[in-house]
Amino acid sequence: MARNKKNESGFRLGPAVTALALLALLVPPGIGYVWFKDQIDLLGDQVKKQEIVLAELERENRVRRDQLAILCLPDALDKQVKKMNLGLGPPAQAQVIRLTESPLNSPVAPAEQGRAQGVLRERNN
Amino acid sequence: MTCLAFGLLAAFALLAGQLVNLQVVRHEEFLGRAANNTVRTIARDPMRGQILDIRGNPLATSIPAKLICADPSLMICPNPSLSRNCRAAVARALAPLLQTNEDYLLERLAPRLVASGGKTNISQYAALKHQVSLETWDRIKQTMAALSFGVDESKLARSDRSFLRSLRAKAIFATDEQKRVYPGLTLAAHVIGYVSGEGEEQAGMNGIELEYNSKLSGIRGWRHTELDQRHRELVAYRDEDIEPRDGLNVVLTLDAGLQNIMESELAAGMGQLSPISISSVMVRPRTGEILALANYPTFDPNRPGAFPPEALRNRVIADNHEPGSTFKIVVVSGALNERLVSLNDIFYCEQGHFAYAGAILHDHESFGDLSVQSIITKSSNIGAAKIGLRLGQTALHQYIRDFGFGSRTGIFLPGEVYGSVPPVKSWSKISIARIPMGQGIEVTPLQMVMALCAIANKGLLMQPMIVDRLVDPDGRVVVKYNPQPVRQVAGPATMSQMVAALKTVVSKDGTAPKARLEHYTVAGKTGTAEKVENGHYVSDKYFSSFIGFFPADNPELCIAVFIDEPPKGDHYGGAAAGPIFKAMAERAANYLNLKPDIDTTAPAGQTLAAAAGLPPGARPVKNN
Repeated sequence: MARNKKNESGFRLGPAVTALALLALLVPPGIGYVWFKDQIDLLGDQVKKQEIVLAELERENRVRRDQLAILCLPDALDKQVKKMNLGLGPPAQAQVIRLTESPLNSPVAPAEQGRAQGVLRERNN
Repeated sequence: MTCLAFGLLAAFALLAGQLVNLQVVRHEEFLGRAANNTVRTIARDPMRGQILDIRGNPLATSIPAKLICADPSLMICPNPSLSRNCRAAVARALAPLLQTNEDYLLERLAPRLVASGGKTNISQYAALKHQVSLETWDRIKQTMAALSFGVDESKLARSDRSFLRSLRAKAIFATDEQKRVYPGLTLAAHVIGYVSGEGEEQAGMNGIELEYNSKLSGIRGWRHTELDQRHRELVAYRDEDIEPRDGLNVVLTLDAGLQNIMESELAAGMGQLSPISISSVMVRPRTGEILALANYPTFDPNRPGAFPPEALRNRVIADNHEPGSTFKIVVVSGALNERLVSLNDIFYCEQGHFAYAGAILHDHESFGDLSVQSIITKSSNIGAAKIGLRLGQTALHQYIRDFGFGSRTGIFLPGEVYGSVPPVKSWSKISIARIPMGQGIEVTPLQMVMALCAIANKGLLMQPMIVDRLVDPDGRVVVKYNPQPVRQVAGPATMSQMVAALKTVVSKDGTAPKARLEHYTVAGKTGTAEKVENGHYVSDKYFSSFIGFFPADNPELCIAVFIDEPPKGDHYGGAAAGPIFKAMAERAANYLNLKPDIDTTAPAGQTLAAAAGLPPGARPVKNN
């Protein structure tokens, strides 16, 4: 009788604990889910921004490469030489001296041979 | 209480039923409508491949550009006068930036109704200008952001102020495009070609741009994704993301330096001679590689529409002409190869008048006895005719076909014609005498050049090459083209004899002394053909040419110059085309650093001594 009276008027702990436990079970995953979704969206935004930056850099790279190549065209170089009055031009045939190199294995003086081998060793090192 | 419970239960059941109806029964319908609102497939366009010369210099390239668009629906304000003023202000601001007419812009900015899916809406898209540079787009954005409409906005209603903000920010937008640019302007225009104009998907219309359009175009990619309410992409919902494959780069056999040399000499020739046209080809005889090809008049592929149609034609492959005396190489090569004649055999050239089959054949001078070699040196029509008579119709026709006439050369350029070689059965009695001197037959300049290259190449006819390889954007070779031999036209010994005879053409006794080079032996042939109009030869109009290769005994270059109607008096091939050939050849040899085969300098030792500042006769001594 006394126990029943106590139960009718007092706070019931069991259901409260059950409710709290259920909340603890469901709410963190829910919050976590929302938080991860938010992170995914933020990452997606960052990916998008980086893609834009990358595309812009690639575009700049292509433009600069093409600009350099265009400046190196023979016609462009020729015009620049004339504009700057550099006086450059192809050599006349009489200005060209043609040298014939002897092959490496041909018989040479010992001093020359040693020097040639020394150059080869230096290059290989 | 019971009624309330039942009422709540019934309401709950209704809600549950509606939930099931929306989420299950009509799931597909709403899924489709949601997808229509958010799901997008965005096309990703590839960059068109470049066209490069053999050294990697860009002859055609694509640069990023913008298509400037407007949203006419954002030009509508509840206040009609504000709408009109705004459209006018936008048109006035953009006209100088877009270099277009203000009235045109006003018309494009005016709202239009469009029918879509059974509904009528105000159009949200109007294209204003294609291929606008990125710098111009930046200036447009700045102009729009600072645009003033001539009203005190602080006194406007909130809705009007919102309208103006929206108009400044969103009414003018841009999408990505690419613009085809030819940085060399007219350089190699007839080889490169051009692409279709703005407003269309870029496609080659001529030249390499057309021939290799599918390789240059690349493959489009796509992105399957979702957009939010503000049309921003939700990257997390990106489903498919396929990268576009940029077009392959086409590397030509052309050398921009040689092309520049050729075009500058042709331009000088046009100025000097004022003919209808001049064309030229430079070929490496051993491989058939075309190092330079040009026609004047020419055009700028950046704006092909500004030039007349005759300037766009590649005359080297698309024009047929009677070749004249250059064609004598065919009959003489054939007769030598068949051992019917030798270089020293003598033919009587009838003192310049030869009656045959009811017609009179003429020479430009009166010749008596000439050797076969001299027939080439002096370019005697009668001598060539008599050699043709000895060779015979069937054999002559066979050699003509073997040298590649009457067929396409197979060059990888569009628009090549076959020429015209009548079959033997349709030859008249006079044909056997006229065809050897280059009349009664039509050939293209390229066919004539390749025939002479066959002589330079010891009798091996090569297919002309204009493309060396295809490479991907990273420079890896995808396709490599190799020199293609066509057939052995005649034996090497025969061709050596022909070279010996052709060397005499540039001597002082020959028809082209002006083509002689100081440091290289040249072998070549002149041609001066009367043009045909309305079926008759016209006496004061000529098609003149000179084709030569050097060094004669180990040829590195073959250069041909063709002039359509040079001035009378200076119309002979040697006089008109010879000097142009000489100027071109000297500069090209210098550029390529070809070793001379005529030594006009002092012995090497003395030259070195002179360079070293030593007295004449001294030899440089090695320092040990």
